[in-house]
Amino acid sequence: MGMSRRSFLHVVGAFVGASTLTDTVLEGLGRTVRRAEAAVTPGGVVPPLSYWIPNWPDQIEISNQCTAAWQKLGLIVEVQQGTLDTWTAQIVAEHKMPHLGSMSWGGAPDRLEPDYFLTEFLYSKRTAKGGLNYGNYNNPKYDKLIEAQRQEIDPAKRQKLVWEVQATSAADNPSLVLLHRDYIQAYNTARFEGVVPVLGSGIAMPYIPWSYFKMKPKTGRKLVKVTSIYDIHTLNPFATPEVHNSTLLRWIYPPFVIRDENTNIAPWTAESWKVVSPTTIEVVLRDGMKFHDGKPVTVDDAKFTFDYILQHKFPALSRVPDSIESVEVADRRTLRFRLKAPFAPFVASVLGFTFIAPKHIWEKVGAGLKTPADWPNDQPIGGGAFSFGEWKKGEYLFLKSNKAHWMPPQIDGVYWLPVPSLDNQIGMMERGEADMLGWNVDLKQAERLSQTKDLKVVRSATHGVHEIRMNADMPPVSDPKMRLALSTAIDRKQISEIVFGGAATVAGNTFITPLSKPWSNPNVSNPAPSIDKAREILKAAGYTWNAEGKLVYPK
Amino acid sequence: MRFWPFLGRRLIQTVITLFAVVTLMWALFRLIPGDPTTVFLGAGELPPDAVAALRTSWGLDAPLWQQYLDYLRNLITGNLGLSFYYRRPVLEILLPMLWNTLVLMGFAVTAATLVGIAVGSWLGWRRGDKTEQIGTLLVLIPRALPIFWIGILLQMALAYGLGWFPIGGMRTPAFIPETRLEQLPGYDLAVHMVLPLLAAVIYFVTDPLMIMRTSMLEVAGDDFVTFARATGLPERRVRHLARRNAILPVLTYTAIMVSFAFGGQVLLEVVFSWPGMGRLMVSSVTQRDYPVAQAAFFFMAVVVIVLNLVLDMLYAVLDPRITYE
Repeated sequence: MGMSRRSFLHVVGAFVGASTLTDTVLEGLGRTVRRAEAAVTPGGVVPPLSYWIPNWPDQIEISNQCTAAWQKLGLIVEVQQGTLDTWTAQIVAEHKMPHLGSMSWGGAPDRLEPDYFLTEFLYSKRTAKGGLNYGNYNNPKYDKLIEAQRQEIDPAKRQKLVWEVQATSAADNPSLVLLHRDYIQAYNTARFEGVVPVLGSGIAMPYIPWSYFKMKPKTGRKLVKVTSIYDIHTLNPFATPEVHNSTLLRWIYPPFVIRDENTNIAPWTAESWKVVSPTTIEVVLRDGMKFHDGKPVTVDDAKFTFDYILQHKFPALSRVPDSIESVEVADRRTLRFRLKAPFAPFVASVLGFTFIAPKHIWEKVGAGLKTPADWPNDQPIGGGAFSFGEWKKGEYLFLKSNKAHWMPPQIDGVYWLPVPSLDNQIGMMERGEADMLGWNVDLKQAERLSQTKDLKVVRSATHGVHEIRMNADMPPVSDPKMRLALSTAIDRKQISEIVFGGAATVAGNTFITPLSKPWSNPNVSNPAPSIDKAREILKAAGYTWNAEGKLVYPK
Repeated sequence: MRFWPFLGRRLIQTVITLFAVVTLMWALFRLIPGDPTTVFLGAGELPPDAVAALRTSWGLDAPLWQQYLDYLRNLITGNLGLSFYYRRPVLEILLPMLWNTLVLMGFAVTAATLVGIAVGSWLGWRRGDKTEQIGTLLVLIPRALPIFWIGILLQMALAYGLGWFPIGGMRTPAFIPETRLEQLPGYDLAVHMVLPLLAAVIYFVTDPLMIMRTSMLEVAGDDFVTFARATGLPERRVRHLARRNAILPVLTYTAIMVSFAFGGQVLLEVVFSWPGMGRLMVSSVTQRDYPVAQAAFFFMAVVVIVLNLVLDMLYAVLDPRITYE
């Protein structure tokens, strides 16, 4: 292609004459980048910090708090808001990172494995476009430790390494880790009891669905109606990496291991597993499992599924072929995995995410398709505690309880209702049109909900994280002292109080919540908030202030 | 000019317009930063190499001119493509939403037009008196209100307050009819439709109404009206004659309304959780689901253009004074 995509778009844009807005968006970041690079003059005024946030109320309020604090250091802060898709396209896809990029990451279950945040956010091999290390943090010592903990099979030794990983990045402050926001959800106590809050899923998210496995109906009405802002987009478990969709499909296609109510890894379709050698793992399947069509679940189905994933290299399951060399049947119930290299997160990340697809169905799929991921799979058949009922796009997804399961749910089924307005979700709870609020309300809405008879609000912690990444390649935030000063100037506890009414866990200087034991390193704390201390740090690093009180680079 | 040459010329114009619209849409969607894989990136759900693999398998790394030609070729052969997000043929995604929108908006536009013609002609006929002044003021109020606000007010009063109607949605999942009334076919859908329909009619009615009123005022001064009166026809009959002559501009506007309605009303759909075209169009743009977004806008363009064409043809039938010039 002779012309780059960008310049092509500009030509088209000029021709169309309607591109002013998009152009501003495209150019906005480029301009700030150039200005910042041009401005590293010793003794010159520190240029304005460009700070990108998604246009969500909590992010806007957080940016107000941070900006107010940093202005007291003599900095000028320019906040730019964008929709999530623009933010992602610029910062993640294109790596057009300004000085600061703010984001909140949800508590998907695979992120309970410490390797996720620590590797994806700060490992230097994730600095390529599309990678989540868009702050370009690059520390060879950190990389070595990341690789070492991935290969360390002994849990105690691995824990030590994971702690060291966190201590290493904490010394550099590549990100301002702020807090882990709580989920505040509600359910109808007159109709159901026995909901189970789980870290990162609350009582209602589909991620780790103990509530739905365990809850009991109190009346003759045994169908649970849950509201969510999301709808699914596919019924094909090989097709989607999207967390709401893929975890709901795991209700139908259960994983080998599951997180229990305390987020410890527990057997699910695997009865047990054994690390035979660092690169060999044997998994024994539960006996007597059946697919929803009545056919038995066999070790051949399991092997078939893995071979299928290795053969088709589904992007949605790309972490699987990355680690597995081959899969063999050891005996009637045992599957033997040969890994390419020792991979400590294997059980949590691979066995907790993959599933068993019926060979008798999927071996016939694919004729006329580019990939089996394009097959609509309109009648999904798995072996899970729930079987597929009906999907009416934009209206509901109905999952029926599977009474033949080894742990049959006591409810009859679940209706997932996509409701785009949170106010409507609350109204539907108040009027009894829904039984469970499967999204997240704030404290004010929670108070309103709890005024309705029979509605109970449940607040539970998550391991999702609010953080502001800093661009390690762009002055002045390329200077670790500047990053430390920015971190010292903000008051995380106050931010949590003002923005979330305190319904959050204040973060340490690590992405891993203090509640995630044993992985979170309790010794990496953030500096005590103090503007004076922050100014001292800058002063000690050679920064000064001009007559107008603006921060000036060291001479 | 004769009818057939006129039609032929208009058809050629239509094809050129459609081609321009299609090209413009195609370019505009590619002008937005990001591509269909971006939606998985932001949530950190796909590593970069998986994204690269997806991009290749979806043909997004082909040169843009080639993607454009492929798109045109598919479009001409009636193939709207596969949705990137849903991995299903675009029509499978679009048609159910289109149907949901047409059910709601079809009723809304029809009701707004009929009410608009009736009330507008009545107001126009009473030029200058108190009822006309107050009436005109009253009908302008809802036009100034945002549609979502009308929706929320109706929702507060009739759903939350009086509890007569459900808050939103199109159907009650697992609906079990209990009373005789509830057993009527379509009962559940009808009950869900009342509030969004009411909001839409209130919002839509002012334009046809005011156009009808103005048109009535113009016609009222025409010679045929004076003549009709002079022949001693009762006033009711005279008004009827005037109304028939004044109706044409309203019909033109109805065509515009239909095309707007076709795209759904995203705010109304959010307020009432209505699974329609508006929400689909917005989500397909934010998800960079080019095939769905392009098809949706393409349909809209076709409806606008074809309706205008049909209307131009109809003019001569509706009003024999008009010729194909």
